[in-house]
Amino acid sequence: MRNRNLLNRRDFLKMGATAGAALAGVPLLQRASAAPTRRAQPEATINVLTVGDPWDLALQNVADQFTEETGIGVNIESLGYVALQARLVNSFLTQTADADVVTVDQMWISQYADNGWIRSLDEFAAADSDTEIGDFLPEVLYSLSTWRDQLWTLPIAAYAQGIMYRTDLFEAAGLDELPATVAEAGNWTWERYFEILEQINGMEMDGTNFFGSVVIGAQPVPVVHMYTQLAASYGTRWFTQFPDAPWDFTPTINTPENLAALQDWVRLYNWSPPESINYLWFDAGTRFSEGDIGMFYHWTPYFYLVNNEGYLSGTPSPVVDRFKTAVLPTRTAGGEQTVSLGGWSLGMPSTTEKQDAAWQFIKWATGADAQKAMGQVNVAGFQFGDFSRLSLYEDSDLREIYPFLDTQLEMMRLGNGKIVRPPAPIYTSLEGVYGLNLNQAMTETVTPEQALETTQTLFQNILSGNNMIPYGVESFDDTLENAVALIERLSS
Amino acid sequence: MRKSLPYLLIAPSIIALLSLIIYPMGFALVNSFKFWNLQTSPVPLYDTGFDNYRMVFQVTPFTEALQNTLLLATLATLSQFLLGLGIALLLNTHLRGMTVARAILIMPTTIAPVVVGFLFRYLFAPNAGLVSWLLGAVGVAVPPQGLLGSPDTALLSVGIADTWQWTPFFAIVLYAGLLSIPEDIIDAARVDGASRLNLLWHIILPFLRPVAAFLIMIRFMQLFNSFDLVYVLTGGGPGTSSRTLSYNLYQEGLVNYNIGLTAAMTWLIVIIVTIIINIFIFTVFRRQEW
Repeated sequence: MRNRNLLNRRDFLKMGATAGAALAGVPLLQRASAAPTRRAQPEATINVLTVGDPWDLALQNVADQFTEETGIGVNIESLGYVALQARLVNSFLTQTADADVVTVDQMWISQYADNGWIRSLDEFAAADSDTEIGDFLPEVLYSLSTWRDQLWTLPIAAYAQGIMYRTDLFEAAGLDELPATVAEAGNWTWERYFEILEQINGMEMDGTNFFGSVVIGAQPVPVVHMYTQLAASYGTRWFTQFPDAPWDFTPTINTPENLAALQDWVRLYNWSPPESINYLWFDAGTRFSEGDIGMFYHWTPYFYLVNNEGYLSGTPSPVVDRFKTAVLPTRTAGGEQTVSLGGWSLGMPSTTEKQDAAWQFIKWATGADAQKAMGQVNVAGFQFGDFSRLSLYEDSDLREIYPFLDTQLEMMRLGNGKIVRPPAPIYTSLEGVYGLNLNQAMTETVTPEQALETTQTLFQNILSGNNMIPYGVESFDDTLENAVALIERLSS
Repeated sequence: MRKSLPYLLIAPSIIALLSLIIYPMGFALVNSFKFWNLQTSPVPLYDTGFDNYRMVFQVTPFTEALQNTLLLATLATLSQFLLGLGIALLLNTHLRGMTVARAILIMPTTIAPVVVGFLFRYLFAPNAGLVSWLLGAVGVAVPPQGLLGSPDTALLSVGIADTWQWTPFFAIVLYAGLLSIPEDIIDAARVDGASRLNLLWHIILPFLRPVAAFLIMIRFMQLFNSFDLVYVLTGGGPGTSSRTLSYNLYQEGLVNYNIGLTAAMTWLIVIIVTIIINIFIFTVFRRQEW
């Protein structure tokens, strides 16, 4: 009797022939299905990979204007932070022309530039005087777009850090308004900041019990973004010498100033909701907008985002017209300040064949007209005030929408993205262990001293293991002055 | 042709095995001995010997992640088995409504782990979360920073979410196993005066043993690779309190892009899992052909 489950030779050959025919037909089918799509695409359509930040929504709202002005079609694909990095690295490694314009985090510049994954924009910027590169704040270009004396990207959204505080609570507590400009700062120190938190923490107003502050506590990356601002204000630096030449990446994490900063950071957490140990960026922002936080500091996009009840919800939050912005305090009265300056910029992958169209888009999206249009988009609230160009800070239309622009500009002017979170090679690995140990100090499973000692050791191991100590590659004197010289060179 | 036919027939399996398992494993093994960090170079730079294996312990919380993974996999598998067995025995009592219960029971296993993660983030929320509220209502102290925010409860919370999702899987499969036990053996035991406990211990469990062992092994291996829930619920924190080996791999591979280090970590995990599973197989199946 023949077993039903056994395949005889004739059946096998039939199946093989069918499978072979099917496989042979696949390319034909693919060609047939691809052909109409390809014909439907205009010759000059570019693909742009962006990240899901507020500015991305504003850009998508005005992108049609670019097509109207240039005749170049634009496909914008928005991804999450990790997905964007994974997609970019994958396409660069496989030499796939996945996109013509890519969004680059400031931390990725050194990796992308040194690996040859993105193209230098020096020639493009120098050739096109209407780039108006001199209008960009030098601090922003320096922090976000330059690496080893070349321009690699142009900024599309720049963030500094600053303070938001509840004016009604301050009034109830008999506290003066905080300084909105550096000129008014006088005795505005972190110690005073903590005194105020101590006073307002636990206060009750209109039936709400207030927490003094809120922190971004989640490890590994989010906590580093907020903590490093405090640490930088205290004078902490990550390495013995960087970005000034000669580069010496011997870590300087376990220092008295960083220990003081971490001890105060733990105090700050104790004035915050306990669950903020797991808070991401927007968790902290939306917590303030819920109305039970007295004062906190954060990236400047939250100067306008907290007007929404949730993240970009469009529903006005309870803190609208009840909060103001202020400049960051210094460690000592009138002392030196270093502000964290970060954000996103647009770059051109080396793999793109549509260089001219890509450059046109980069120049347009980062130009004053498009940036102003983005700032005027009012979908789910106004959602873009993260300007990199000085002219936009002086624009009366934008100043009306974003009344805090003076404070933001002051913070930008004190910004240095290469010191607070230095975009050195393997920064991501360092940030990972730093964040983990900061978070552990917050849980009090380790002391601040132990956390910094462990971080110092891990930094040393990582940097040595990656041939960064001693640093055998040529250094570059990566100072603001040299970035200004580059801008002048490209402008002329 | 007659001689070569068997080889032709098994060729697709061999090709699939080579391309999907052997090649990636070989690729990882080769790269585990190379310095290859995409943050500094797009290609492997040079041979490093066993440096990457040493670095796994020196620069990543591998030991903590291994402890967490073992704890999570062991406790969650055990609790899912016990709860699943209880539910399967209940389903087997032929009470009213069991057909509907069976249909509903399978639903959690069909939900993507990421969705389960978001669901439990809300359930575990410190102020308005249902689980936190229920625990508070029965007098169980919830940490002020929430179940996901405390190093003492974060991993446990991940385990609870996983147990909610996968206990029904145990229940359904064990229930199928219960149905395969011959009724006459159960009846004979009852006639001989066996108590319910005796029935369970001496007849039901021995019959379920092969199915249960297989289930436990599969779930243990799945839990050993836990990532989705950890990623959504805790991000491995606070500190390293809920970091698992897979999360560690993700951090080094897809965040830090240290390919050499990740390859070495992959091989360490493969070795550990292989040892554990072989001990399990040797212990459970030593008297059985499988």
